[in-house]
Amino acid sequence: MSPSVAANPYLAHPVTIRKIIIENEAKDLKTFRLEFCNASDRAGFRHECGQFAMLSVPGAGESPIGIASSPLDAEYIEFTVKRYATGAVSSALHAMDEGDRIGVRGPYGNSYPLAQMEGKNIVIVSGGFAFTTLRATIRYMLDKRNRARFGKIVAIYGSRSPGELLYKDELKLWQESGDIDMHVTVDKADQGWTGREGFVPTVLGEVKPSSDNAVALVCGPPIMLKFTMKPLLELGFAPDRIITSLERRMSCGIGKCGRCNIGAKYVCKDGPVFTYQQMQELCGGQF
Amino acid sequence: MAQGSIKKADLGKLIEAVRRDGRFFGPIDQGDGACLAEVTPDAVLKLDYANFTLPPKRMFFPRSEVIATHEASGMAAVPVQEGQVVLFGVRPCDALALTYLDKVFVDKQFTDPYYRSRRERTLVISLACREPAATCFCTSVHGAPDGRAGADILAVEVGEALVLESLTKAGEAFMTHHAKLFASPTPAQRTACDAQASEAAKKVSAVPIDGLKAKLSGCAENAGVWDDIAERCLACGVCTYLCPTCHCFGLYDEQVGQTMRRVRAQDACTFPTFTQEASGHNPRTRHGMRMRQRVMHKFCYATENFGDIFCVGCGRCVASCPAHLDIRETITEVSQ
Amino acid sequence: MRDVQDKLRATAKDLLASGKVELVLGFEPASLPMRTRACFARTADAAERLVWNEFCSQNLAAYLPRLFEKPAHIRGDWTPPKVAVVTKNCDARSIIGLVKEHQLARENVVIIGMPCQGMVDPEKAAATVDERIAQACLECVSPSPIGADILIEGQSRPAAADRFQRVKDFEALTPAQRWDAFVKEISKCTRCYACRQACPNCYCKSCFIEQSKPSWAGAGDDLADLLLFHIGRMFHQAGRCVECDACVRACPMGIDLRLFTQKLVKDVEELFGYVPGVSLDDLPPLCTFQSDDSECFVTGPGEE
Repeated sequence: MSPSVAANPYLAHPVTIRKIIIENEAKDLKTFRLEFCNASDRAGFRHECGQFAMLSVPGAGESPIGIASSPLDAEYIEFTVKRYATGAVSSALHAMDEGDRIGVRGPYGNSYPLAQMEGKNIVIVSGGFAFTTLRATIRYMLDKRNRARFGKIVAIYGSRSPGELLYKDELKLWQESGDIDMHVTVDKADQGWTGREGFVPTVLGEVKPSSDNAVALVCGPPIMLKFTMKPLLELGFAPDRIITSLERRMSCGIGKCGRCNIGAKYVCKDGPVFTYQQMQELCGGQF
Repeated sequence: MAQGSIKKADLGKLIEAVRRDGRFFGPIDQGDGACLAEVTPDAVLKLDYANFTLPPKRMFFPRSEVIATHEASGMAAVPVQEGQVVLFGVRPCDALALTYLDKVFVDKQFTDPYYRSRRERTLVISLACREPAATCFCTSVHGAPDGRAGADILAVEVGEALVLESLTKAGEAFMTHHAKLFASPTPAQRTACDAQASEAAKKVSAVPIDGLKAKLSGCAENAGVWDDIAERCLACGVCTYLCPTCHCFGLYDEQVGQTMRRVRAQDACTFPTFTQEASGHNPRTRHGMRMRQRVMHKFCYATENFGDIFCVGCGRCVASCPAHLDIRETITEVSQ
Repeated sequence: MRDVQDKLRATAKDLLASGKVELVLGFEPASLPMRTRACFARTADAAERLVWNEFCSQNLAAYLPRLFEKPAHIRGDWTPPKVAVVTKNCDARSIIGLVKEHQLARENVVIIGMPCQGMVDPEKAAATVDERIAQACLECVSPSPIGADILIEGQSRPAAADRFQRVKDFEALTPAQRWDAFVKEISKCTRCYACRQACPNCYCKSCFIEQSKPSWAGAGDDLADLLLFHIGRMFHQAGRCVECDACVRACPMGIDLRLFTQKLVKDVEELFGYVPGVSLDDLPPLCTFQSDDSECFVTGPGEE
């Protein structure tokens, strides 16, 4: 039996870049809205919040990217990608235009435990461009069909400067809606900024979301994660109620290539979502 | 279970029979000792070898292969070569290693179609060891000079004959299919097989493996012992590329002429670039961290994930390390 | 040789006890017979582990660039260590080369020059052929230590008369035959990069072969990619290779890299009169230009 396309986990499905949104002033963050070329591929791609997929640019390679769209966004999937000067794939992707064709395979990894989060209050803490899968989660939870399943939703999201905030229109809508208590902050304000100024962990300490019947989802750069854990623990969040998502270099995305493990766990297969408690066990308490 | 014996001098007949509808690979001297190569009518089998320089895993998981091409309509898989393959002369340690690779590449959730396809069409005839090398330590890691796991047929050299014993249904079918080439092994031959194996086992070096996983688990990344051992590591990939169980790889998209293709190539956790991310961040910055990853993957993580130590004691990494590091010493040192 | 080893240990002890160096990089017995491995002796007691015998073939200069690289976890000032290295003459020449290429400061390294009888090739020894000495050592024209800071006295083997016989035989082949011979050897490569990692000259932080942007070669074992790696690496050795044979010893596939790098050594010597690692003062041929330099690489081999 020769490898068939259907059962071959290494082959990407063709997608068309339907829309490219430049997210930030530095123009190194773009959101790519993708549509599957084949309806059967779309039907086969059923993701949950927190999962990732491999984006492939023919001739350049693949990168694991968190899925930024909600599972309820039926027509398309979205990925927000940062361009690195040293990154072959992100650079190639950023050079592409609407209408161009790339590849997607996935979805991979575990997801935020939304079923277990039902009936609970949700606290979301995020910084920088790690916000993507949490944006998917917020979109999902705020959907009319879902909102009632969750308690109070408090979100704190920050970036270095106002120009670096992702999904600006959406943030504005969320801040104006009564469905979510949305706090947007920047490390350093500029002249036009009228919102909060301050680091995400500091703002967390000011907002003081209750840990009562609550789960915290945290995504951000390592330094933010480090300084966010202490205030969360002080607010009374147990380590198994703090949920985060990890990143590692990946190649296969399915737990075979041996690249992304932390201890015996593969970030691609056993993660990327881990509780703070699991992370401490994995990293020997050094996280 | 089928048994049979065949004179070494008559192996050519078996090879000829196999070659009628498949390919036969066996130990051939190509100038640098025996290597597992396709046996053509003019080739001479070389049976006095400790082991092949390169592990037989490459027959299932090559150093690199083009797995797909990018076409206008999407990606197209490159099929693996059709037809039956017989590997003769695989050492029992390397056959055991295949059972570990099976666990990685053929799991319920995701199966590697290239590996599985080759595995399904390949019959493995292992050849028991009579003269283990000074670097061998199979008996410490669930192996034996006449170990049976992973092979379809075990062959044992007894004087001028080979005594064969089928170990799987495929092996039994093969022996039945070629039954007229085999005689019944004599009781003396069977006794000799066992005697030889226990003699050979005595020559295999021993490594303290009991409780190793627990000891390793307690040996954190920042424990100085890893940096001490890694100080003399040159950070090449000899140990991983020659290892029969190392299976780390990368997928690469390349353009060759007008063809866009996806290549799967073996990679090595000993290379600093292995975990280097596009941002420049690297979770394993020091040699010691990478050395630890390789040892832990084999002796700790594999045990946790698959219930097996992913080391078969073939000793290739010991024999070929350009810095003369010895995994037997490493695990002894780390677990103290 | 026992006597030489005793003198070496005494010297190493003195260097460490007096604080003249923090580390003596030498050889200690490895787990297998006829093998030694690097010994990182940091105390006078540890100097007792040092050995000197005909199996000390590794070129320890390969470890130096990383010893003189500021560790990533140290912020602020860092003082590089003082390191003494046990060397054969070829290894010492590698160190001079590293100094010339600013990989380490001359004052931070103490070169201990050992008398060299030639190193045994363990494979030859195992095959019990009469000649146990490695091919590279049989062809060595300067076995006696020169330019060492500390000389351990003893007998070195006589210098070979002509080390280029194999290269000359190779040169006598037709271009097609040479190419076939080159391809045959390089085809064995598994891309483990042991040749590169064992070579003191290959200290680049990022090797061209592993760069992804731009990507110069594919990741697999296509012949074109194997050839590109080896041609690229070999040409980076022109005017730098000291013929220590580290690449050949490291290669698990037995590729005869020596023949090809030696061809470059011979060309550089003949065209530019340059021998690497001998003097700190002369400029490497790729760093200088003289009006009478051969330009046959423009016009074609053998034409002026």
